Amino acid sequence: MLVLAFDTATDVTTSALVRDGDVLGERVGEARTLLEDLDELLAGATAGASDLDALVVGTGPGSFTSTRIGLAVARGLGLALSVPAAGVSTLDALAAAHPGAYAVLDARRREVFVAGPRAVSPDELELEPGTLCIGNGAVRYRATLERLGAEVPPDDDERHLPHARLHAALARELGPVEGIEPIYARLPDAELSRT
Amino acid sequence: MILGIETSCDETAAAVVTEDGRILSSVVSSQAALHARFGGVVPEVASRRHLELVSPVVRAALDDAGQSLDAVERVAVTQGPGLVGALLVGISAAKGLAWARRLPLVPVDHLEGHVASLYLEPGALEPPFTCLLASGGHTILLAVREKGRSERLGTTLDDAAGEAFDKGARLLGLGYPGGAAIDRIAREGDPAAFDFPVARVPGLDLSFSGLKTALLYAVRDLEPVELEARRADLAASYQRAIVRALVGRLRAAAEATGLERIAVVGGVAANSELRAALPDAAFAPLQLCTDNAAMIASCARFVEALPYPRYLGLDAYASLS
Ligand SMILES: [Zn+2]
Repeated sequence: MLVLAFDTATDVTTSALVRDGDVLGERVGEARTLLEDLDELLAGATAGASDLDALVVGTGPGSFTSTRIGLAVARGLGLALSVPAAGVSTLDALAAAHPGAYAVLDARRREVFVAGPRAVSPDELELEPGTLCIGNGAVRYRATLERLGAEVPPDDDERHLPHARLHAALARELGPVEGIEPIYARLPDAELSRT
Repeated sequence: MILGIETSCDETAAAVVTEDGRILSSVVSSQAALHARFGGVVPEVASRRHLELVSPVVRAALDDAGQSLDAVERVAVTQGPGLVGALLVGISAAKGLAWARRLPLVPVDHLEGHVASLYLEPGALEPPFTCLLASGGHTILLAVREKGRSERLGTTLDDAAGEAFDKGARLLGLGYPGGAAIDRIAREGDPAAFDFPVARVPGLDLSFSGLKTALLYAVRDLEPVELEARRADLAASYQRAIVRALVGRLRAAAEATGLERIAVVGGVAANSELRAALPDAAFAPLQLCTDNAAMIASCARFVEALPYPRYLGLDAYASLS
């Protein structure tokens, strides 16, 4: 089973091509050039898009626009290939990098996205002492999290990226791409200002 | 066969058009009701909705055309100008679709797309002509000498004509979108009742902000009961002022270019008074005035297609180049 996985929700877009659990290739890039990465992945495995059996796509939370780019690409692929797909939360994929890790994504506006999913101020997190915090939010708010008793790996540690091979490993039920919804974890500003 | 996709503002649209300009299908899912409570288009709300609608709308366009994707030879998508977050939904879906099938992708300029609504059958227009594009987002005068490319002669310095209709409708308590509401109520009013100024700006540019202010003052000067009684007169006079400005500039542009034939495209081209004021103009068909994907697919016939893999890094652009 040939699976193409990608996640565009954070500031770093990841993608991976996986066959029956074996990672054939991985890429790290940007959301707007995701298709270039996917093209290279397939070319590297001398496969074509029509050889794909399933898609796995990161659903955020993250930047609204870039999360949608991944989901829209997936919808285009779904229309073209009629392959089933699964959505995996970016937080879940990130946490899967290390047993017991706590995923912390930068949510801008002095907040982070954590399991829930919810957007909170990093000061308000309640963490068990020694919790391993990973993700671009953990890097950005390292000082705060360490003060709260957490451990944060060095900035360049690979575990801070939501590698798409982790999404592929976590994917369970496959269904129509159109059924995969983004996790926004926040209302649009226009809705917020109305309430 | 060309599959067109359009997501630049608040309509999610897909269409199938043949190489000779026949529309096999054109599906437009308007978000107007969704944005009405905000009194205008909210970019993030629009983008979220585009993602929900893009697949069903493309499927519906193929179904309506009685075609499968196997018959599609090119994918056309609006690249800009528009709301970047909204454009990126259509572009990303189009890139995914084209890449998976190794199809060429045609990035289309939204404004050229509006002009290309005139090139669809039946009754396709041939350049050269002078064109007014008037919509909620744009009010531009164009010299069209060849298909797919036009020269900009003038534009609004502030609000677009459609925006002026929307803002006027809001001042008159007529709701959103405003163009159709004003057009409807203006039929019962006297267009000469109020003397609203048509702004005089140099060259072939236009301005609607002064007109909007004049309406604001007129509304403010009236007691609520009086306003109720004169709402139709206000709408008719306000509409007359917008139409006069547009007609005056279009005529002047035609004179300046020497391209005597005139055409009108965009959402405001549906306005009944504008149509009546320009009996000699070619108008986009009513269903192709507001944003749609048939015009995008139509335009794709006349602009360069990007073969695989040249479009993989294609990005949106927000504003006029
Ligand atoms: Zn438009």
